Amino acid sequence: MNMRKKFCAGLTVLAVATIGTAAHADNETVAVFTKNQTNPFFQAVRVGADAAAKTLSAKVLHYIPTKPDSIPEQLSQIEDVVVKKPDAIVFTPVDYKAMVPGVEKINAANIPVVNITDRSSAGKFIAFVGADDYSLGLETGRYLLKAMGGKGNVVIIEGVKGALTNVDRVRGFNHALKENPGVKLLASQPGNYQRLQALQVMENLIESHPQIDGVLAANDAMAMGAIEALEGANRTAQVIGINGTKEAVDAIKAGKLLASGDYNGFLQGCIGTMIAVRSLRKEPVVPEIMLKPTVVTKANYQPYETPVESRACPTWDEAARLAGK
Amino acid sequence: MRDMAKPAFVLPRAFISADLLQLFYRLLAALLICLVLALLSDSFLTLGNILNVLRQASLLFFIASGLTLVVLTAGLDLSVGANVALSACLAGTVIHQTGSAALGVVAGLATGGVIGLLNGLMVTALRIPSFIATYGMLWVLNGLTYWYMAGEVVHGFPPGFRQIGSGYLFGLPTPAYLLLIFLAIGTVFAQRTVWGQEIYAIGANPVAARLSGIPLSRRLLLVYSVSGLMAGLASIIFLARLNSAEADIGESLTLPAIAAVLIGGTSLFGGVGTVFGTFVGALILTLVLNGMNLLSVNASWQPLVTGVIVILAVWLDMKTRRRGQ
Repeated sequence: MNMRKKFCAGLTVLAVATIGTAAHADNETVAVFTKNQTNPFFQAVRVGADAAAKTLSAKVLHYIPTKPDSIPEQLSQIEDVVVKKPDAIVFTPVDYKAMVPGVEKINAANIPVVNITDRSSAGKFIAFVGADDYSLGLETGRYLLKAMGGKGNVVIIEGVKGALTNVDRVRGFNHALKENPGVKLLASQPGNYQRLQALQVMENLIESHPQIDGVLAANDAMAMGAIEALEGANRTAQVIGINGTKEAVDAIKAGKLLASGDYNGFLQGCIGTMIAVRSLRKEPVVPEIMLKPTVVTKANYQPYETPVESRACPTWDEAARLAGK
Repeated sequence: MRDMAKPAFVLPRAFISADLLQLFYRLLAALLICLVLALLSDSFLTLGNILNVLRQASLLFFIASGLTLVVLTAGLDLSVGANVALSACLAGTVIHQTGSAALGVVAGLATGGVIGLLNGLMVTALRIPSFIATYGMLWVLNGLTYWYMAGEVVHGFPPGFRQIGSGYLFGLPTPAYLLLIFLAIGTVFAQRTVWGQEIYAIGANPVAARLSGIPLSRRLLLVYSVSGLMAGLASIIFLARLNSAEADIGESLTLPAIAAVLIGGTSLFGGVGTVFGTFVGALILTLVLNGMNLLSVNASWQPLVTGVIVILAVWLDMKTRRRGQ
């Protein structure tokens, strides 16, 4: 099978070289690496990759650690992939530093690779597609503080201490707070991206702080946990989360959640795969696409109600325009 | 046969009376933590906060109490967290699809119980060491849950059902009642029934227990089933309290549950320990997190503080135990 595919690809390249027109080597295999099976964000990335591959008539193979975010597991998956030699790889490192040896293995095997979501700290990539967590935290935080009229008391519920996403999101929150000196930060406590822990942290903070007006949670699950705690204590505060999950969109619609920052996993999956396939077909690509964060609110939630499965990838021109610069 | 059973019973009884003495000391560690927190934080000794601690400890206690019986037989159940996740996701889906909370509760409990029973069968019929059997089960359950949920979150349940987790009865949270009820049932079962005593005997000396006519396999099946069933119960409380469930909720539950059992003085070698001790263990773990939130301990230091306090609490306990003997 693989031999034949390579042979076919070889033939096509030969044909293209002879004829000298644009290549359309269909049916390339793209291996897509995501961090885990649990986070809806990566589910959206995979659906986006599948959608892009379908329109380009390429094939996607998904590699997901069974233990969420497992470094050894992703390393061994890379070892497998290097042997199986897909035509290209779309890669999210489970850890931006620890996975560098894995990236080096891919580079050594000469498989073209696109980096998405979390920027690897080293290695050669065709392109990077992502959205930075810092501006995500900043924009979503700003939205909350503006809604609060620039005054009041807030708490931050942090994600996993030491996770790059969390460090950047919380930095974004804090920057937004610095812009609003009228807002007082009462506490910044860890909820480890977990709903239950965020609920309990919020229950405890409610006891020690009689007046909390706003909650900045580093993901949607924690924001929802915080909302449950507030409702349980008959207290009200405006809450924001991050990820733009379906649950969060429902809560925004119901008026329970103020907003959720989204860095669009679907688009990242789409564009990452498009770049991988385009580079195989020797079509022009862009080295970096930073998607602008969207703050999903009551005013703009409608498009998010469409399940990712039925969304369509942008055209290349639209995608390239998202690169901004 | 019954005459021969006698010696096997005498041994655990002796341990239990020592245990009762110990429990007094063990509560001392929890009370010491309370004293320190009361001195450091004004909001610690408020009614609201005490109820918070009880409610937060209850989920951990449900999981850990079933686990205690398993550990008493010198076994271990590593699948409890994964069990909670699958049971909660299934129960949530059943409630959504049938509109009946009662059916959901039955589904959650049944899933938990069946998983426990399967663990028990692996340990007894297949003679697989419990650590391996339940470790394997953990992965099987994770796999099933990830596949079943596909990154989705099941959320939004009827208010009547939510009462189980977030409601109040005469000013006390519902989970706190359940905690007291199961603490009483667990204590009476372990200390005052023949089956309970047989479980201690199995843990203290399985050969002697078998020779004295205790049906080893059936008792082991019972303890693993109870452990699974309690995880099922925890899953229902989780759903009702958080109004939602997703695939990754279990991971952060297993280790604290095992820790609660061991901090509570139950020996990994079996035959020694009490359900009440496990309650105290769950209380200590909850108090530490509660205290850190109230005192706004920096997120970076929280794991370290937790570790130091757990070690100190057990050290204090061992010291007083030696003195007690």
